[in-house]
Amino acid sequence: MSELRTSSIETRGKPGLKRYAMVIDLRRCIGCDACMTACKAEFDVPLGVFRTWVPYKVVGTYPNVRKHFMPRLCNHCDDPPCVRSCPVGATYKVEDGGFVLQHYDRCIGCKACMASCPYNARFMLPKSRTYTDITSVVDKCTFCHHRVTQGLAPACVQTCIGRARIFGDLNDPGSEVSRLVATLPTQVLRPEEGTKPHVFYIGLDRNNSEHGRAVYNPLDVQAEDRQAFNNNHQG
Amino acid sequence: MGDFNIFHHMPWSSTYSIYFFTIGISAALFFFSALSWFREEFRSLRNSAFYLSFVLLAVSGVLLIGDLSKPARFLNIMNPAYLNFTSPLTWGGLNLISFGLVSLAYFFMMRKNDEVMSRKLAVVGSLLALGLPVYTGFDLTVHQNRPVWNTPLMPILFVAMSLVSGAAVASFLGKGTEKLQAMLRGFMLWSAAAVGIMLISLLGTTAYGGTGQELTFMFMTSGTLGGIFIGVGILLGTAAPILLLLAPFGRQQSGMMLSALLLLIGGMALRYSILVGGQIVQTYF
Ligand code: SF4
Ligand code: SF4
Repeated sequence: MSELRTSSIETRGKPGLKRYAMVIDLRRCIGCDACMTACKAEFDVPLGVFRTWVPYKVVGTYPNVRKHFMPRLCNHCDDPPCVRSCPVGATYKVEDGGFVLQHYDRCIGCKACMASCPYNARFMLPKSRTYTDITSVVDKCTFCHHRVTQGLAPACVQTCIGRARIFGDLNDPGSEVSRLVATLPTQVLRPEEGTKPHVFYIGLDRNNSEHGRAVYNPLDVQAEDRQAFNNNHQG
Repeated sequence: MGDFNIFHHMPWSSTYSIYFFTIGISAALFFFSALSWFREEFRSLRNSAFYLSFVLLAVSGVLLIGDLSKPARFLNIMNPAYLNFTSPLTWGGLNLISFGLVSLAYFFMMRKNDEVMSRKLAVVGSLLALGLPVYTGFDLTVHQNRPVWNTPLMPILFVAMSLVSGAAVASFLGKGTEKLQAMLRGFMLWSAAAVGIMLISLLGTTAYGGTGQELTFMFMTSGTLGGIFIGVGILLGTAAPILLLLAPFGRQQSGMMLSALLLLIGGMALRYSILVGGQIVQTYF
């Protein structure tokens, strides 16, 4: 299936260019959080913020209940609104590969990109960090650009015990991601936003991935945690 | 048994709504000062409105820069090698800077009593002033995933709110004639009515929108923002002053002052709730 290309920035299906993508097979995810940990270690991701995270939702009614895991990360959208909205070009898309990356030295911290990302994939780095001197700018998943360009898999893919995360070039018809996207029903998050996400899910139930009425009545315990988070992470 | 999600904060804090408030008033006050070159009844506002507009512009600049997490890098927004013209912030930055420069030039021409130049700068400055609420509206409206923000109403709503708040402040400044008071009363009344109509339409489309919009509507009406948006913003800060201005009391000086005060309180509440309202639901995703 080829999608209609509506913006010149899109590179899916463009000959001669790579368009990396990730397929996440939710049937295989056991919620071990190894990917979150590997990512934290790879990038020294600070406390409280994540480049990739694995939220879960308990779905069903006893005795038919299950935990629905949904690993999340930047979707490296083919038509990324974050790139569009950055006033200084600090967020940019690598044409060959489709990585959406940051110029940390350019970012002014206006948070327009955070406001425009429909997936909450971006976060503000704290003012001081122990091992890394990149501070007070916006950060996010890079699809492990530094590893992928060396021929390695992203850290989360490499570590995934259930082989739930599969990474590759969607513009290469022979790649595993191309085969999965072509032969299995896949979903992306919020396709209606026109972002053309490049993280595809197998087995995603949109009833569980979208906002539900539960948003309006969050559990008390979550509300307290949320308050604590907000106190510690002011934009 | 709980669900687990990590938490996300709202990218744009309430400081932005103060910025929206001050920059909107600054733009409208410049417009009233500029109008004085063409309408005699505004003459008494020429200097005072301009000076306050300039002070508020400076305050807005400080607020805007102070809210960046890298304030010292604000100059990047003027670096031609970096500018990204698909971002409304880029246009806004350029608009702000040119408005500041034109304001300065206007100040000097006004002091020199150079009527021809002052008139020209008044027109150019007014157009740039119009750009300020327009771009703040665009800042919000371009985010396609944000309920309330993502509507073509935003730029026009911000222009109307800017006129309401500006006229309210001007009514405190204007020690002028009855004619001026009547004009300012008209500005307040008609632009507040326009704001009211736009808010009704905004509420309608939000209530009948998708899940995110529906939930946002709930937050903004019966939820955490209900008091400030409906209570202060719409009832106390828009509907009540409109009724007051229509009543005989509203034609008197004290009635106008009271309405102006309510409109200012309402203007701040509306800007705050629109800014925050568009971000609440997303923090749960
Ligand atoms: S998921 Fe968000 S941050 Fe990542 S490319 Fe898309 S819009 Fe940008
Ligand atoms: S916070 Fe940084 S990367 Fe994001 S839009 Fe602003 S300047 Fe660009």
